Amino acid sequence: MKFIYTLILALLLAAAGTISLNAQKSSINVPLPFDRYYDLEDLYKAIEVLNEAFPELTTAEVITQSEEGRDVWAFTINNPETGDHLAKPGVYVDGNIHGNEIQATEVVLYLMNYLLTNYGEVEKITELVDRNAFYFVPSVNVDGRYHFFNNANTPSTNRGLRVPGDGIRDAVSDRSISNDLNNDGSITQMRKRDPFGQWNTHPEDPRLMVRAEPGEFGEWTLLGQERYDITEDTQISEDAERYVDPNRDWGSNWAPPYVQRGAGDYPFMGNVSKAIAEYMVGRPNIIMVFAFHNTGGMFLRGPGTKARGPLNPSDVAVYDILGENAEKIVPGYDYLISWKDLYSTYGDFTEFTYNTIGAFSFVGELFMARQETYAAYEDLMSADHESLGFGTTTEQDLQRLKFNDNVAHGTLFKEWEPFDHPIYGEIEIGGWAKMSTRISHPFMLKDMAHRNAAAVLFAAAQTPKVEMEITRNERIDDNLNRVRVRLVNHNAIPTMTNHAVQNQLYPQDMLTAEGNNIRVVAGGRVTDRYRDRVNYKEHRPELQFLRVPGTSVVYYDFLVEGNGELTINYNSRKAGQRTANTTIN
Amino acid sequence: MRTGFKLLIISTISLFLFLISSSLIHSQSFWEGYHSPEQANNVLTETAQNHPDITRVHTLAQSPGGRELLVLEIGPEVNSEEKSLPAILVVANMEGVIPITTEASLKLVDLVIEENAADNKTWYILPNGNPDAAVRFFQSPLRKDVRNEFPVNDDMDDQVGEDGPEDINGDGFVTTMRYKHPQGEWIPVDGEPRLMRRADRAKGERGIYKIHSEGIDNDGDGQINEDPTGGINVNRNFPHLFREFTATGGAWPGSTPEARGIFEFVFSRPEIAMTFSLGETNFALQPPRGGRQGSADFQNIQIPESFADQIGADPNATYTMDEVIRMVEPLAPPGFEITESVVASFLGLGAVVNPMQEDLVFYNELADRYKEYLEEHGFSTDRLSPAAAKDGSFELWSYYHLGIPTFSMDFWTLPEFREETEDEDSGLTPEKIGEMSDEEFVDLGEETIGQFLEEVGAPAQFSAAQVIGMVQGGMLTTSRIAEMLAQMPGGSPASPDGASAEDKALIAWVDNELNGEGFIEWSEFDHPDLGTVEIGGPIPFVKNTPPYVMVDSLLSVQVPWIVTLSEKMARLNIMSTDTEYLGGGIHRVTAWIENENYLPFPTAMGVRNQNPKPAQIFLQANGLDFIEGRERTLIESLGGMEAKKFTWLVRSPETRLLQLRLETTHAWSDRSQIELGGSR
Ligand SMILES: [Zn+2]
Repeated sequence: MKFIYTLILALLLAAAGTISLNAQKSSINVPLPFDRYYDLEDLYKAIEVLNEAFPELTTAEVITQSEEGRDVWAFTINNPETGDHLAKPGVYVDGNIHGNEIQATEVVLYLMNYLLTNYGEVEKITELVDRNAFYFVPSVNVDGRYHFFNNANTPSTNRGLRVPGDGIRDAVSDRSISNDLNNDGSITQMRKRDPFGQWNTHPEDPRLMVRAEPGEFGEWTLLGQERYDITEDTQISEDAERYVDPNRDWGSNWAPPYVQRGAGDYPFMGNVSKAIAEYMVGRPNIIMVFAFHNTGGMFLRGPGTKARGPLNPSDVAVYDILGENAEKIVPGYDYLISWKDLYSTYGDFTEFTYNTIGAFSFVGELFMARQETYAAYEDLMSADHESLGFGTTTEQDLQRLKFNDNVAHGTLFKEWEPFDHPIYGEIEIGGWAKMSTRISHPFMLKDMAHRNAAAVLFAAAQTPKVEMEITRNERIDDNLNRVRVRLVNHNAIPTMTNHAVQNQLYPQDMLTAEGNNIRVVAGGRVTDRYRDRVNYKEHRPELQFLRVPGTSVVYYDFLVEGNGELTINYNSRKAGQRTANTTIN
Repeated sequence: MRTGFKLLIISTISLFLFLISSSLIHSQSFWEGYHSPEQANNVLTETAQNHPDITRVHTLAQSPGGRELLVLEIGPEVNSEEKSLPAILVVANMEGVIPITTEASLKLVDLVIEENAADNKTWYILPNGNPDAAVRFFQSPLRKDVRNEFPVNDDMDDQVGEDGPEDINGDGFVTTMRYKHPQGEWIPVDGEPRLMRRADRAKGERGIYKIHSEGIDNDGDGQINEDPTGGINVNRNFPHLFREFTATGGAWPGSTPEARGIFEFVFSRPEIAMTFSLGETNFALQPPRGGRQGSADFQNIQIPESFADQIGADPNATYTMDEVIRMVEPLAPPGFEITESVVASFLGLGAVVNPMQEDLVFYNELADRYKEYLEEHGFSTDRLSPAAAKDGSFELWSYYHLGIPTFSMDFWTLPEFREETEDEDSGLTPEKIGEMSDEEFVDLGEETIGQFLEEVGAPAQFSAAQVIGMVQGGMLTTSRIAEMLAQMPGGSPASPDGASAEDKALIAWVDNELNGEGFIEWSEFDHPDLGTVEIGGPIPFVKNTPPYVMVDSLLSVQVPWIVTLSEKMARLNIMSTDTEYLGGGIHRVTAWIENENYLPFPTAMGVRNQNPKPAQIFLQANGLDFIEGRERTLIESLGGMEAKKFTWLVRSPETRLLQLRLETTHAWSDRSQIELGGSR
């Protein structure tokens, strides 16, 4: 019982420690500084100052409250002088759906700041802002972000939504909570000397634990994460959170928890996933999606499970262009297929945005442990680049410890220290700190954020850019004109995914011909423009449905009778509207 | 226009509107008496006013058409949010086109109150799961459509919901048009020219007519009735085997508020122990179907090569779930628990899609009991089969995701029509096949499929075995088969001499029981798009909705079975307790916990999906010292009529009274006291 009081005291002290740290922070002004990670309050402030500094170009809005009542903000960059946001190709970028994956937010903020502060200064950026609508949700899981910054954590805790558990299974199954026993802000590991242990310290660096050779006892037992086991389990622990992963909560190929760990009771159980789905449905112009996570250095595309079958081949060709360029913009990152190269997921966000919203969608997995080097340049170049996915090799860890010592000056690793544990007795506590392992030292932040933002901008520059021109208008009979319309998409991304066309997610682009005293007799897609071969549409010839593929040209002919002004309208959900006129006489 | 005249017109219009809105009198008088969604809601609110102590009305959702989905709660705990008693959820008319199921739910309300069936449990009863669709039965012209009013652009053009069917000849019904066409596939049935059948070109017959639902091409795109107002079929919008990209399924599970409302209602009420869906399927008579491919098989797991390497497994071998867990465990970070769900999701093993064998035991047994019951009550079980449960339906979701006993019931189909000389036909139509999953089709077996292929005049090279093989091999799907048959002139669901079994049953029913009233004689009409057409055919709902005079006798036999089944749900009790003194102040405490009822706690599917909350046993006394066991113990499952023993070793040198509590969220609770004798 006494221990509980000690524990509460320790927790209070830990909270006090967090507050004193806050005092040293640099202030947040435009341009935003990227010399440290922003906690939730900083993020709110950053959104506010950007919005205040660029009131004409930006909109900031709260789209929902989290399970614990915190605001989730969305941020729009659109130049109203070049048109309504819905009339431009929409690029949606979010991050930090997993509460612990905090630097994803910095990438989003960096991109927001970069676009705004370079608008009117850098030609390419000005064009991107003028031509696209950008939508951002810098931190999706605001409760997770709050608790990751404000409480002690491992690099991997506080990923999920704060959905209360049922209190029945949780509390009994010994999934008791971790506690920051030594009050250092990180949940690390516990080890105990044990003549019958399974672990040894590494001969080169005793901070690193390695498995004992088969057939031999080691000198240590690893006791898992820092915690005090609560054996009195009659009290339903309020902290016995149920794990609901907000990235398994989306209504496309969704599966219940016994199939997909981390799923909720039903799709869109989380406030934020439901709100973002509605947000996207209300912005049918969104054609490009990036969702940032950590870790591993990857750009992932769907499908999430093998059973879904391969993606539509013509969509894959577009993905390949974007993914292969992203690999070059962010060195070391691999462009991969989710289920095949990583693992299967049901109901994840980009599954939803590709399948249901109809947007090309990437997950960006930030951070590469192998960038934490302590090696001469030529050794680095010749080193074996094979990694273990999310894990690290012993060789890498040895280097990372030296990197911690000599580059990060001890901030990434908590040295092992003795502790008197109420159950285990004399133990040692130590290991990788909260702000490590999946999160780089802040000195590496800006480079990482810039390159990933640049990968997004490469894709944004490829959103469909359609030009329409009337290339012919000639009288072919007494009272009949042939009007030819040319639609050119200058960019790699089509005006609709092929998947959206085939599965009828929404109507195709529409091309209409109309005018007073003018009747459209026939109209259709030109199949051979030199021989005037046309697939005429049988009904309603004045209305044509089409899709303009990436870097392609399509022609449509209208045969019209009458006299007067003919107006041709092209209307695409994702590529905007175009109008052209010609006189029929 | 003079003011007086204008007024006259306005008052005539309002009189007309008044007549329409006030009269729920059916264009067919034999259906007078059915309750509209609004009337059904009124019954619930009136019941709640008359029985305030045991009833309460909840609003579960509002439909896209603005109609409230009301649920009547009946039970002794209506005034408390926390429930100690288990509950039964009954939903009705989820498709919105089966009016008798709403009547059944209202009948159930009466029955539960009259017979005190809620004295130790709670009932939640929803008479209309899809009120937007249900209201059409009470509107003129009469039209049958499962869509709610959620806007959906079916034809992917520039307008939404602009081209639905209409009653163009003004007879009060949206029926069928037949018109002569060079590519007509249909001819009248010999001897019964009211009915149509497909011409059999192989036999030298030439089709005459095309047939289509009644209406015009409102949007001028050359298609008729291709974009009706609405919508989503609520009973295809649930997450088990949800089908994406279908006409009426919705964009995602729960995308329509009626389904979403049910998710939220159910998951905030862990006391719900059992569900019933009153609709077109009947799990009380015909257990949920199996035979689907791709079910996660935890006994034979194959490990993909990329992981096999890492965990030292053979990618060509199969392993049990326990074996995989043991292989993965050493690689997990300390403190990370490797569970079935972790492995299943990591390897992408997928969902369970066939009913668990253990559950089929009680389904089959209870189906036999129900047949006996029906026969005792003079009910013929010679009837057209109930429909198979559809992917994305409430009943499949309830069984597979909630993991609690789930029953569905239908209440009436056309009486089967039998000609003595005729062979029994397969009962299949291309449409029925199109609605089946591939697995359901394969499940029909070679004999039935062979018979069907013969009926439709399939070319001889298509043997049943070949077709089954192609479906299993993924080369052919049920929807493709339906499509092919629709394109194949002469491919018809008809028996050799004419109409299909359903049509024959229909025409016999109309003539013998309805004096011909359920069928509109074909009559010519000048159609704006098609020229001369004939309009006629069976009126909507005549195939699934009996005259109101029959309803009471149908329901008074079938609805009580819901109460009978409800009495079989799991109930956990402390059977007995015992103590044994071992010396040194240590006692062994034993408790036998039983499930005194027939149904398991929870179903085998519930054991798999871990959704139902386990029971908890608390053994408590001040300062009690546990040597073995804990103050709290979980019971994950207890079969029907089964008992399990639980033991604890406790140290108690003094005499004391132990409190033993058995707590469940949905199978009642129990408590008892145990006296420990101290160091005797
Ligand atoms: Zn993540």
